[in-house]
Amino acid sequence: MATATALAPATREGAGAGRQNKKRYGGLRPWLFALPALAVYVTFLVYPAGTSLFFSFTNWDGLSPTYDIVGLANYEAMTKDPVVVQALLNNLVWTVVTIVVPVVIGLTLAILLNGKVRGKTPLRLLFYTPCVLPLVSIASIWGWLYNPDYGVINETLRAVGLGSLAQPWLGQDSTALAAVMVPAIWLRVGFPMLLYLAALQGIPAEQYEAATVDGATRSQQLWFITMPSLRPAHYIVLALSLIDSFKVFDMIYAMTYGGPGTATQVMGTWMYANVFQYYQAGYGTAIAVVITVIAVAVSIPYVLSQTKEHS
Amino acid sequence: MSASAPGLAAAAALPDAVIGEDPLARRPRAKGGVVATIILSVVAIFWISPLLLLVTTGLRPLSDFVANGPLSWPTEWTWANFREAWGIGKFADTYRNSALLLVIKVPLGVLISAMLAFALAKLNMRFRRTVMFAVFLGLTIPIYITIVPVFIMLRSAGLTDNVLGLVGPYLAFGIPLEVLILQSFFRQIPDSIIESARIDGASEWRIFFTLVLPLSLPALVTVAILDAVATWNEFLFALIILSSDTNKTIPVGLLSFQGQFSNNNTGLAAGILIAVVPILIAYALLQRWIVGGLTAGAEKG
Repeated sequence: MATATALAPATREGAGAGRQNKKRYGGLRPWLFALPALAVYVTFLVYPAGTSLFFSFTNWDGLSPTYDIVGLANYEAMTKDPVVVQALLNNLVWTVVTIVVPVVIGLTLAILLNGKVRGKTPLRLLFYTPCVLPLVSIASIWGWLYNPDYGVINETLRAVGLGSLAQPWLGQDSTALAAVMVPAIWLRVGFPMLLYLAALQGIPAEQYEAATVDGATRSQQLWFITMPSLRPAHYIVLALSLIDSFKVFDMIYAMTYGGPGTATQVMGTWMYANVFQYYQAGYGTAIAVVITVIAVAVSIPYVLSQTKEHS
Repeated sequence: MSASAPGLAAAAALPDAVIGEDPLARRPRAKGGVVATIILSVVAIFWISPLLLLVTTGLRPLSDFVANGPLSWPTEWTWANFREAWGIGKFADTYRNSALLLVIKVPLGVLISAMLAFALAKLNMRFRRTVMFAVFLGLTIPIYITIVPVFIMLRSAGLTDNVLGLVGPYLAFGIPLEVLILQSFFRQIPDSIIESARIDGASEWRIFFTLVLPLSLPALVTVAILDAVATWNEFLFALIILSSDTNKTIPVGLLSFQGQFSNNNTGLAAGILIAVVPILIAYALLQRWIVGGLTAGAEKG
């Protein structure tokens, strides 16, 4: 930590010796400022999450006043639950696809928009539009597009003579998961596009000019100037997308409720079904604990990087 | 609060880079690009075609839709679908509930987050990094791990089926992102300014309210907008806590509306539009702030 940061508050106290190596804390005052937010955070996030962890060691049904502590039984049961295996797999597929595809499309759009194009602002506005809509409304819109009988997608296929491809996209095992990922991709392209575009704009034009003078081709410039400059943007995009992907719930709940059968179950919806439909709150919270632990574990490097001083 | 994640990128924002300046306007390349412009325009129209099709469907009579299909141009225009959907979807209630939640939650959330961010950035708080780590870790916690205990808490407080019951959980899940952005912004304020205010005898509260907050107005606006989007769109807590139709927020209300209108395409389209058009208008008006806030982080490099 830079000495300068430690200096400023120390002078306030008028303390003289030793302030270079011993940081002086602000006493109680900072905690008064911190208290309201920390109290809310602990009450409505930390404490409930901890309580869920406790419930996951019980056989509570969610309704009765009593329950027994059953140790790791819920976690053992998960290893024998084929839906949990499927949900974990779906979570994995969801995470990979809804990160990789939007990043590739977003980067492509950013590179195109960074070139010689008119009307960049309205174009950017249009591509980012889905990002501000509620997930539930996106689910409604796409559920409507996917409707097997009068939905736009099947109608379009019929109109261009591919009527044989028209099918109940959300209603069959083979296409349901892909069909719920498409709206998620639609929703998520805008964010990497904006970040990459800003990063591309930040590359000094002189770098390209110098490279041109040195005889570098366009593809060489893309590879040796553009791509390395995008590294910080890659990091932010991937970290944030990863954090977001593990939380998937709204879209699946609103579009398929995990169905047909269990084809689109993810950990979040399977947890919900166990708690509110099958009255197995203990088991349901154990599912939530597992996916939360995974989500937290993979995000720790990003979280740690954010606690450092940017000086 | 799924919409919140993009805002994280603003965490690394530099004060002068955050708002107002449109990064795209900086290096104009006026000439040429006709082919690229046409291709991108076609792709963009295709991209938002779901919304365009909703508009043509919502504005035509059901009979016209049934006879000609969703892809045809309407032969007749009508507002009747909107009138019908507004009443059946109870949008007057859901709009009121969502708006009430927004005006209570967003200012309160920004205020307490700013206070915590100020303590972390400028007051040399003990265990600073531990607190930061614990709070930022909240970004990664899915809402569904907390829903059972939160429901039990709110039920014993008599706050279920009441939009006010959502304020606490929404605040808690908004705090990590807001603190992350604001503390990194506050840190850019030179210590010397705060120091001289102290020498003049200003208290920490006075420094916070009359110096730090006004200097950080752009960041506060960005955080407030991101938080408003997340609050407006939140679904899971609202689904668990709110049960009667008149107490629901827009996302939950839209879902039950969708169930009732499954065979009335034009009415369904009108209802979806009622739910999203105000957001789209707000987005178009505020897009500069949203885009500026989101991209400031990436530019830092």
